[in-house]
Amino acid sequence: MTAEGKMLPALFNSSSIPVLEKVVGFTEARHNVLAGNIANIDTPGYRAQDLSPVQFQNQLKEAIETRREQATQPVGTSAIDGTDGEDPFAGLHDTMKSLLYHDDSDNDLERQVAALTKNQMQYNLAVTIMTNQFRLLQAAISEQA
Amino acid sequence: MFNSLDISTSALLAQRTRMDAISGNIANLSTTRNEAGESVPYQPRFVVFKTDDQVKTPEGAMGVRVDSVEISQKEPLWRYQPGHPDAQHDGPHKGYVAYPNIDMTTEFVDSLNATRAYEANIGVIEATKSMFSQSLKIIG
Repeated sequence: MTAEGKMLPALFNSSSIPVLEKVVGFTEARHNVLAGNIANIDTPGYRAQDLSPVQFQNQLKEAIETRREQATQPVGTSAIDGTDGEDPFAGLHDTMKSLLYHDDSDNDLERQVAALTKNQMQYNLAVTIMTNQFRLLQAAISEQA
Repeated sequence: MFNSLDISTSALLAQRTRMDAISGNIANLSTTRNEAGESVPYQPRFVVFKTDDQVKTPEGAMGVRVDSVEISQKEPLWRYQPGHPDAQHDGPHKGYVAYPNIDMTTEFVDSLNATRAYEANIGVIEATKSMFSQSLKIIG
């Protein structure tokens, strides 16, 4: 790879952009899953599904720590790909197994909407910070804030 | 590839179909004849939903579709109206007219339920749209 080729990844990876990218990807995937739950609110026998934000955050934390240890050299996004360990996206699981409604479904709207709203706020937060990061880079490039 | 917009749309369609069945039931509250003009009372329709694996995101979230429209097999309501053209001429229900066995309360509660579910999915679509437009701001 040429020197110019290496410069851009180093520019982006020294910031929090790759981390935010993962957060945006995860919240988007989780939004789809929660939308599926709300769509199936009246489906008899449907079991609500979810992706685990805790598992995702733990993996992200590990990945960030790994990157911090190797901070002397420019790190590719591979460090926070989460390729080691379990894939949080594959962790689609049934949320509750005990409480069922009379139609054999455990899907309740309040819980789903609350989860969806929280997830959306997390998404907005990540996107806003990412936008600011790009703005900072832009300011540095054009030498004006 | 499908995303949450397709999933929410599938739910909107399903809830609207359910609303159609409910409005049909309420419209035919006192229908004593079938479409051929015979003295057969209208039987209420019920929509049954099913998880639709045709509308599926890469994460495994699935949409919903109408599995079947069930026709109720409940006994009709018998009302004594000997002068009615559809009154029974003989048998145990002589002089009685068969009316559809439709419970208004059930139908209205169902229609409220369908409306709220529709609104919930509209809410999800709004959330999806705002996420999309947020991500477009990264470019700008």
